[in-house]
Amino acid sequence: MIRFPAAQLLRIVAIAAILLWSLAPIGLGVITSLSTQTDVQAVPARWLPHHATLDAYRSLLGGSGDFRAGGTVSESGAFTHALWNSASIMMLSTLAILCVAISAGYAFARLRFPGRGALFWAIVATTVVPVFTVVIALFGFLADAHLIDRKLGLVLVFVSTTTPLAMWLVHNHVKQLPTEPEEAALLDGCTRWQAFWHVALPQMRSGIAALSAIIVLLVWGEFLIPLLLTSTNASKPVTVFIPEYIGKYTTNYPLLAAAGVLAMLPPTVVALVLNRHIRGMLSGSS
Amino acid sequence: MDRPDTASTCGIVLEHVHKEFPGGIVAVRDLSLTVEPGELVVLVGPSGSGKTTVLRMVAGLETVTAGQVRIAGRVVTGLSPRHRNVAMVFQNYALYAHMTVRANIGFALRMAGTPKREIHMRVNQAANILGITELLDRKPGQLSGGQRQRVAMGRAIVREPAAFLMDEPLSNLDAKLRVEMRAEITHVHRRIGAPTLYVTHDQTEAMTMGNRVAILRQGRLEQIGTPLELYERPVNVFVAGFIGSPAMNLLPARLDSSGDDWYATVGGCRIPILPPARVALWPFAGHDILLGLRPEDLVSTEDARDSEHGIIQATVARTESLGSELLVYLSLNSDVTSPPLTARLDRRTAVQQGTYTRIGVNLQRLYFFDPTSGAAIR
Ligand SMILES: Nc1ncnc2c1ncn2[C@@H]1O[C@H](COP(=O)(O)OP(=O)(O)OP(=O)(O)O)[C@@H](O)[C@H]1O
Ligand SMILES: [Mg+2]
Repeated sequence: MIRFPAAQLLRIVAIAAILLWSLAPIGLGVITSLSTQTDVQAVPARWLPHHATLDAYRSLLGGSGDFRAGGTVSESGAFTHALWNSASIMMLSTLAILCVAISAGYAFARLRFPGRGALFWAIVATTVVPVFTVVIALFGFLADAHLIDRKLGLVLVFVSTTTPLAMWLVHNHVKQLPTEPEEAALLDGCTRWQAFWHVALPQMRSGIAALSAIIVLLVWGEFLIPLLLTSTNASKPVTVFIPEYIGKYTTNYPLLAAAGVLAMLPPTVVALVLNRHIRGMLSGSS
Repeated sequence: MDRPDTASTCGIVLEHVHKEFPGGIVAVRDLSLTVEPGELVVLVGPSGSGKTTVLRMVAGLETVTAGQVRIAGRVVTGLSPRHRNVAMVFQNYALYAHMTVRANIGFALRMAGTPKREIHMRVNQAANILGITELLDRKPGQLSGGQRQRVAMGRAIVREPAAFLMDEPLSNLDAKLRVEMRAEITHVHRRIGAPTLYVTHDQTEAMTMGNRVAILRQGRLEQIGTPLELYERPVNVFVAGFIGSPAMNLLPARLDSSGDDWYATVGGCRIPILPPARVALWPFAGHDILLGLRPEDLVSTEDARDSEHGIIQATVARTESLGSELLVYLSLNSDVTSPPLTARLDRRTAVQQGTYTRIGVNLQRLYFFDPTSGAAIR
């Protein structure tokens, strides 16, 4: 009992440290995005801006750029286009990954066919191959297929790199679902496919929600692959686009920070909305 | 596949059905069994004896390794479950958690493309039979165990299936509800009349619900017959020990005959053997046998009449009063290793723990078994 307050204190300190570690950069980013360049570059450093302003956001979203930064970044509406690139790549990839992973993971978990185990582990094993080891070969393939600097190219790469992991998660999820409702459906006159569609899939709802969140977060945050496989604003997602605000001689820090804050919003919203399901999946109650 | 058949082979027919799982586990061995139309056959046996496997093979959820399954005169051995027109009630009910009770019950009809109006009508009818009309708009998660059980039943009866399969449908209910549902299932079965295979662990369910009872052991059919047949004439030690509660006492005994005097010696007591039993027993004269005594065929000495009862002397190890009757656990001799003996006596019987007492044995109701093969001698 004597140790209890000490343990409690330690816990609080640990949690505070973790929060500070993960939230401080975000807080700093938000503050910077509301500042002016003068505030940011003031000596001595100011914690809070003298004149809070939404100018940075306005110039990013309005696309009527009066900001100074190098090259293609300054094109009017370039940032919103990058956001759109990220969003469309994310949605397409997530949809495709879900379709393939759910049907494959379910099949591996429920159907008996020769070579099932070997095939399954062969696919899962590909998740341990780091992407950067194959990225040169990948570049070659995509170049041959004229898919460099195309969103479709990125989608295909994301689907092929993320699906094995997603399929594995689906497989494990399905394994812990009871088989009897599906069997009851088979007896009730369903084909295998109908039993999957009418009974298994609804049972997997929260698992699928959690999986979607994981995929969205993975795909949205991808940096290396789009950096190598895109070259113009036509296909650059925000992760690759934002660093370009860092100029060789000057950097518009408020603008950079505002872009970062905006880029954070979509995954945050997804995580918040699907939070309940993600927790359910992690605690195994789904 | 359709093969017109005589009425006698309607119902559920299993012929020499064999099931071996990958890994060499033989779950069912050469099983032949017929469930006549309108009949309810109860499948009992210890855990792992293959009861569930039999049901699943009839349903088509499991393939058969060898043999044939026919339902309503049609060979279904290679057919997928949906082509068999079989309904099954699972032990854990296996309801569709995301659908309302109405959708659960109507699901099979919907899959069969039945018009909406007819589905509505037939679901109402089934719900009516089972008394769950007020629950139709709820989801399974909002139901009690007994209510879920009824929904599972409703899902089965709404279809008018060619065969009914139930796998321990009452095992998740409390004792009182179980008694209630037992009567209800029997009632519904009479009304629907489809041939039914019913799996249970429960003695009482087997004896009260089955038109016939089939006993499985390690995938083999030991005996099938009416509950009374199994009780009166078990074919071997296993069936004898399985049917009846408390279980039959099986005592090693020695059979002797001197002239017209036949008797079995058990723990130093001589139990006379009446003439009708002697015909079958004569090869065993002078040899060891197993003597079977049902606890309910034992009486206290006050109730014993000399001509009808033999006497066993034993020590009272323990007594249990069930209110309506008294269970007395005895041991022959004072020796601890001696075989135990359970007697079900009148509740007013006065016996003292630790005392040496005399118990009457109904001579008309002795069972004899071959100690090496376990087969009944009769
Ligand atoms: N899918 C399977 N793969 C391998 N062996 C199995 C499989 N299903 C059942 N078995 C084995 O077959 C035997 C019979 O099992 P089954 O489930 O039919 O028994 P049961 O009589 O229903 O038992 P219980 O009363 O415990 O439900 C058991 O030894 C079991 O281990
Ligand atoms: Mg079972």
